[in-house]
Parts: sequence; C-alpha cells; structure tokens
Amino acid sequence: MSKPAKSQWDFGELFSPAEIRKVLSVSELTGSVRALLEKQIGTVWVSGEITNLRAQSSGHIYFTLKDAGAQLSCVLFSREIVAQRDLLADGQKVLLQGEVTVYEARGQYQLIVRDVELQGVGALQVAFEKLKQKLAAEGLFAAERKRALPKFPARIGLVTSPTGAAIRDVLHVVQRRNPALEIILAPARVQGQGAALEIAAAIRTLNDFGNLDLILVTRGGGSLEDLWAFNEEPVARAIFESAIPVVSAVGHEIDFTIADFVADVRAATPSVAAEIITENVFASHELVGDAMNLMQLRVRRRMRIETENFESLAGRLVRLHPRRKLDDSLQRLDDLQFGLLRGLKTAARSRQLVLQNLAGRFLRAKPSQILKARQEVLKQLEKRLNLLGPEQVLARGYSITTDVASGKVLRDAAKIKAGQKLKTRLAKGEVFSTAQP
Amino acid sequence: MPFEEALKKLEGVVEAMESDDLPLETLLARYEEGARLVKICQEKLAEAEVKIQQLEKTAAGDLKLKSFETSEE
Repeated sequence: MSKPAKSQWDFGELFSPAEIRKVLSVSELTGSVRALLEKQIGTVWVSGEITNLRAQSSGHIYFTLKDAGAQLSCVLFSREIVAQRDLLADGQKVLLQGEVTVYEARGQYQLIVRDVELQGVGALQVAFEKLKQKLAAEGLFAAERKRALPKFPARIGLVTSPTGAAIRDVLHVVQRRNPALEIILAPARVQGQGAALEIAAAIRTLNDFGNLDLILVTRGGGSLEDLWAFNEEPVARAIFESAIPVVSAVGHEIDFTIADFVADVRAATPSVAAEIITENVFASHELVGDAMNLMQLRVRRRMRIETENFESLAGRLVRLHPRRKLDDSLQRLDDLQFGLLRGLKTAARSRQLVLQNLAGRFLRAKPSQILKARQEVLKQLEKRLNLLGPEQVLARGYSITTDVASGKVLRDAAKIKAGQKLKTRLAKGEVFSTAQP
Repeated sequence: MPFEEALKKLEGVVEAMESDDLPLETLLARYEEGARLVKICQEKLAEAEVKIQQLEKTAAGDLKLKSFETSEE
C-alpha cells in the first residue's frame, strides 16, 4: 500500500497530541465502561425469554435473554446454587436477578445471573418438582403401600365435577360394560381457586361415608394450569390418608400429576380408569360366554376318545372270536399248501441239477480211458509182485524145501522127522528126497 | 348365590373338566353343574345395572344420598 501524499495544508504538528486528546487504550476504556455499568446499574431484576442456551462442559450456562425489542447476554456460572438450573431451556420465560457487567475480553456487556425464577408454566413445573420431591421423601409414593383393587367392586366413590367430561366418560364405559355397580358421587370442582381443597374434602367425605370398594378421583384433559389442583398438597394428603383404595385418572396419557403418584392405581384417562375398575366384570362376561363352549368341547372330546376306545376294544373282540380262529386255520392251511408246493418244486429242481451233474460226469468217463488206466495199474502191480516173488532169490542159488505131504515150507531142520518126504525147489526144476535119521 | 361365587365355581368346574382322568359319569355331572352355573351367571349379568347417587351434606352436617341425573343424553 502506498503512503498517501501529504496535503499542501499540512503544517506538521504545531501542538502536541497529548495536549488536545486524551487517548485511552481499549482496556482502559472497556474498564471504564465496566466500572460505570457496575456502579450505575449493579444488581437488577430483569424478565424475558431464554434463547440460544448453551450449557458448557465447565458447568457454566450461557444464554440470551430477549423480549420483543432487545437482547441481553447472560451467564449462569456453575458455582451459583440455582434449583431451577436443569429447567432452563430455550423459550422458557424467566425472571433473573443478577449483576450487569462487561466481559472485557470481548467488549460485551452481560448479566451475571445470581438467581432464577421461572415464570408461566415453568413456575408451576418448579412447584411440581419441589412437592414431588418432598412427598417422595416422606414415602407417599412408596410402591409397597399401594393396595390392590377389589376384583369385583360393587360400590365405588367418585370424586369429580358433576358436569365435567370425566363423569360422562366414566359412566359411558361403565354402562357399556354393565356391571352391577353402585356409584356414589362426591362432587368437587376440579379446577380453579380452592379446587384442591374441595377434592381433598370429597375424598374425606367418602371415607366417612364408608362401605366403598374404591374411590375414583378423576378429571378430563386440560392445560397444566387446569389440572393444577391435582398437583397440590391437600389432594395428595387426602389420597394418602384414604382408608379406601384410590384410583387417580387426571387428564390425558401424557399428564402425570402428584395425585397419580400417591394413588394406589394410576389410570391414563377417566375412560381407562372405568375400564380398569370394571375389567374383571367385563372378563367374566367373556368367561361365562366361553364356559358353555369350553365344557361342550370337553364333553365332545371325551366322547370321541371313549368311542375310539370302544372301537379299539370291539376290534380286539372280533379277533378273538372262534370264527376268526377258523379263518386263521384256513389261512394257515393255505400257507402250508403253498409252502408244500413250493417245497416240491424246489426238490424237483434240485434233483434235476444232480442228474445233470451225473450225466456230465458220465460223459466225461469214457471206457477206453478207464481201460488204459487199469492196464497201467496192472503193469505196476506185476512189477511189485515180481519184486516180492521167490524167483529172484532162487536165481541167486537159494532153494525152498517143502513137506511133500502137507506142502508146507520147512524152516527148521530139527522139526524134520526121519523118512519124511521132502520137495526142494531150485531156480530151475525140483528135487524130491527122503530125510535120513 | 352371588355372581362372584357362581363365577368362581364355574371356573373350578371348567378347570376340573380339563382332566382326562375324570370318569365319564363325573364329567357329565360336572357338565350339568357347569351349565347350571352358566345360567345363574347369565341371569346375574342380565339383571346387573349401574346406579349412581350423589352424596351431599345436610345443613346439620349429616351425609345424605340423593339421585343423580346425568346431564347428557
């Protein structure tokens, strides 16, 4: 960037700047503004609507408080003990107490919040939370003190407005289900100033009247303000002290009231309350209707089983009848005949096979071959016979002497008697002789 | 017999009939009994009605019932 050219009218610094200007640093100026604001305004109460709320991990909460014409930066430090801290949210109308100051690092003025009061619905929420915590601590909501409702209530107390939507809804459901039910209405205003006391008194009156199976405390839907009476302590106490079980049904499903927490049973709406109360009567309608069918079913089923048993027995009886035995014998005979025939056929067939086998063997056994084999055997036998015969011994010079009379071979000379006729066989020819004494 | 008692007995009868061990004669007797109870329950249900009365305190502080007329219908 070029330096701008000096004007011809620039005569240099005739006067020291310090003499005509009081120059402050940004910090000095900001510090002055801060001191001025803190001194002049200090602690204030300011009302508006929260917007752009940011809860930092440090625990500090930053938000902007606005109204139709202006905005104000606010900070709620974590060290501040503010009960409603968790209830702060965008759109929440609040009354803040705090000190106006300047956040010098940004040159931004802001309100350091010291206390918060919720306005509008928010204020009711806080009251609700406070009472809820208090009564919970006292044990009014304890699950173990919740009583079960009688299964078939015959006489019930009803606390509601005689002209409201709730009583219409309850009667509509109850009449449709048509139980034998006597309803004792203890009328009470259910919204506006004094309603809570009227509701509490009605609950007590019904307890005094007595002889009731349960008390239904109910009101139709409405704004939080409309339902507020049911969030007030007198109602909670009256329900808690009731000797008769209490059903609470206030507003719609999403509405939970202190009365709901204290009551023995909470119903989402007046209609649901009526359904809960008449549930068993309604179920018994169905049960009675179904009972006849169920019993008939059982009898029919049993009859079918008995019939099946009978048929099974009858079948066994038929099998045991003499006629059946005869039938069996006949069949057995058939079986035997069949078996016999088959046996014969098998036997014939096996014989045939044997015959074929024999014929084969017979054909293979030719006479010429048999003869040849026999001649061979004969030759062998002749050879062996020759080896055993005396001829070879005789040829070597031995002789055989036999007794002529008996033809016996003589082996011992001592046994030969004088005059005994002897025959001696040589290799060639024979010699006859007579023994000498 | 009150409705509740008849209903309880009827439940017992229906339950007992579920057993296959029950002799046939007993089963049929139970059926007769059940049918009788169904009739009683149905009669009780038929004659059931919803009565509504309003409780009010008299000037003397006593509690009194008076008839309540529903505004609708």
